[in-house]
Amino acid sequence: MAIAELSNVVKRYDQKLTVDHLNVTIEEGEIFGLLGPNGAGKSTTINMICGLLAPDGGEIRIDGLSVKSNPLDVKKRIGLVPQELALYETMSTAENVAFFGKLYGLRGKLLKERVEEALVFTGLSDKAKDKPSTFSGGMKRRLNIACAIMHRPKLIIMDEPTVGIDPQSRNHILESVKTLNQMGSTIIYTSHYMEEVEAICDRVAIMDKGHIIACGTEKELRERVAHEEKIVIKSGAGPLAPELIDELGLHPRINRVKTLEDTVELYLPSSQSELQDILFIFAKHGGVIASLQIEEPDLETLFLSLTGRTLRD
Amino acid sequence: MNNIWTIAVNELRMLFRSRTVILNTFLLPLVLIFLLGTALSGVVGVKSDESIDPVRVAMVYEGGQAGNAAMVADFVQSPELTDYIIPSEASSREEAENGLRSGKYGYAVIVPQDFDKNVQSGQDAQLEYILGKKRMDNTVAGTVFDNFLGSINYRQSAVQVLGPQAAAAALAEPARQETAVKLGDLNNGGRNYTASQYYAASMLLMFLLYSGLDVSGSLFGEKDRHTLYRISSMPVTGRELFTGKMLGVGIVTALQCATIIILSNLLFGVYWGNRPWLLALFCLLMILISMTFSVIVSMFCKTHTTANTVVNFVTVGMTFLSGGMTPLPDAWINSVGSFTFNHWALDSMIRMMLHSGLSQLLPNLWVLSLIALGLLGAAILSYRKVGYHA
Repeated sequence: MAIAELSNVVKRYDQKLTVDHLNVTIEEGEIFGLLGPNGAGKSTTINMICGLLAPDGGEIRIDGLSVKSNPLDVKKRIGLVPQELALYETMSTAENVAFFGKLYGLRGKLLKERVEEALVFTGLSDKAKDKPSTFSGGMKRRLNIACAIMHRPKLIIMDEPTVGIDPQSRNHILESVKTLNQMGSTIIYTSHYMEEVEAICDRVAIMDKGHIIACGTEKELRERVAHEEKIVIKSGAGPLAPELIDELGLHPRINRVKTLEDTVELYLPSSQSELQDILFIFAKHGGVIASLQIEEPDLETLFLSLTGRTLRD
Repeated sequence: MNNIWTIAVNELRMLFRSRTVILNTFLLPLVLIFLLGTALSGVVGVKSDESIDPVRVAMVYEGGQAGNAAMVADFVQSPELTDYIIPSEASSREEAENGLRSGKYGYAVIVPQDFDKNVQSGQDAQLEYILGKKRMDNTVAGTVFDNFLGSINYRQSAVQVLGPQAAAAALAEPARQETAVKLGDLNNGGRNYTASQYYAASMLLMFLLYSGLDVSGSLFGEKDRHTLYRISSMPVTGRELFTGKMLGVGIVTALQCATIIILSNLLFGVYWGNRPWLLALFCLLMILISMTFSVIVSMFCKTHTTANTVVNFVTVGMTFLSGGMTPLPDAWINSVGSFTFNHWALDSMIRMMLHSGLSQLLPNLWVLSLIALGLLGAAILSYRKVGYHA
């Protein structure tokens, strides 16, 4: 059953299409990754799902309810973890969670239980009386999550929840996302960290310029670029000669060449058949190879093959 | 309603946890009332009555003949004037001037040579005055002789316009026993206000206007913390959020108001008048005015700093123009001052302290109510137009 259905959704800012006739369905119980570079339209899409922005066209339904017609009922079913920390620094951890819990209609004993549950879940139960101003970035991120999940929402939307935190907190958050999903919540997870999306998401949609340019499971998406492999060669003698790069680019079997300081990335249908040619070109131009790696296609590769740009461009 | 109350309580919690807010809201007004009330006690209030000593007036009859000015000579000798002037004939202008310099005389009058003849021939009655050193002497003696000349010239005019018969008839009327002027002590039985009372009222109003800073702080604070974004994604309507925040700030301001009134009364003996409910109503109107004004400012300012600057400027400006910092001339207060919010409330509070009748308070109440209503309408319109978004 679909928990979120976006049909032909359009959003314009000053006549510029930020979200361009978007169609996507998110099934109940899945972790759905929304991947795309900055400005792709991810946050605008999330804001429209949460009822913070009204679409200029199309319809969004959450749990069968139209966001436009039933904004408050829809909001009760959603827990939003904003990209920016949205906390009261002068209030304690428990007070922060309780305040937002009250706005979700929780009261009395139930509120107390849910606050405790959320703090235990995010590993902050021993910090209940502490103020966020004394927390590390990772702890603040976890509290940011606790404030969005204490009402046990059917749909949790996490907008880049791991920005600017240490690897330990990042892993904790990623594990939390999986656990929340196992507990029954559907998750929409946006990020421009491809590895995170690959690690936790059941399905991924890649957005660019307001469109979904690819959508499916990780396996399905990888298959779309299975015809292309990536060879990463690191030079052992500084930047590579321009003539060497030019000759690699002229090779009929190499689709694209990308240089990054002393590293060159080659995209081609099959590495095995062309490896000898590549080594020959290196030898011809005096190129010294420090390392050579043949990589499986990933979502970054897919994005690159679809747009000609990297996710972090 | 639950959401409104939750947001209001949260607002109260945050405000009461800020030491700066506590100090500025509750302590600073009382300190200012104490300091201004004590330091400026000589500037404010009604001064005590002063008794008027008779002024020694040098009478100089030009030509040396008092008989040529019998009207003046008779007038200055009349027994009604003995409490005000002591006439003394001087032989010449120089003698009168020397007497004024030495302090022998407080005032001098030069009577023209043909005073009586001129008056009888229909010309204006004119005297020449030479002022003395004391302002009060000049005022008293000047008033006496101005009235004398005014009376003569009035009769001259009547004769010229109405004819000699009318004048004769008027003179033939028996003198009225009652005078149109009633002398008395204006302060007898009335009330005065002290500097502490004046500054307690003006500081109360200034700090009520300053509560607008809490409004802008609350509205912009939610944006700056990104909590507005989170709350907007929750099942809370914009109206609930806005009302809750205003309610929270309103409660703090009402508490501030009550604290200033009660503690100024207990600590400094400030008497706030005989109409506590009307006082409360004026305070509530000022709170409403302050908050709605600040909402309008916050809606159209892009940053917290800009909004604070505008609210600060208006608060200080209006407090000054309404005479809240130092008593200003009445003409100034009643012209420029009437364009300030404080003016109407301050005037009413002072009147309540003086036990003025309700009829003297109601016009101010209507004006303040109209201002509050207008600002409330403008605030609602600006909220609808601009909105309160993350």
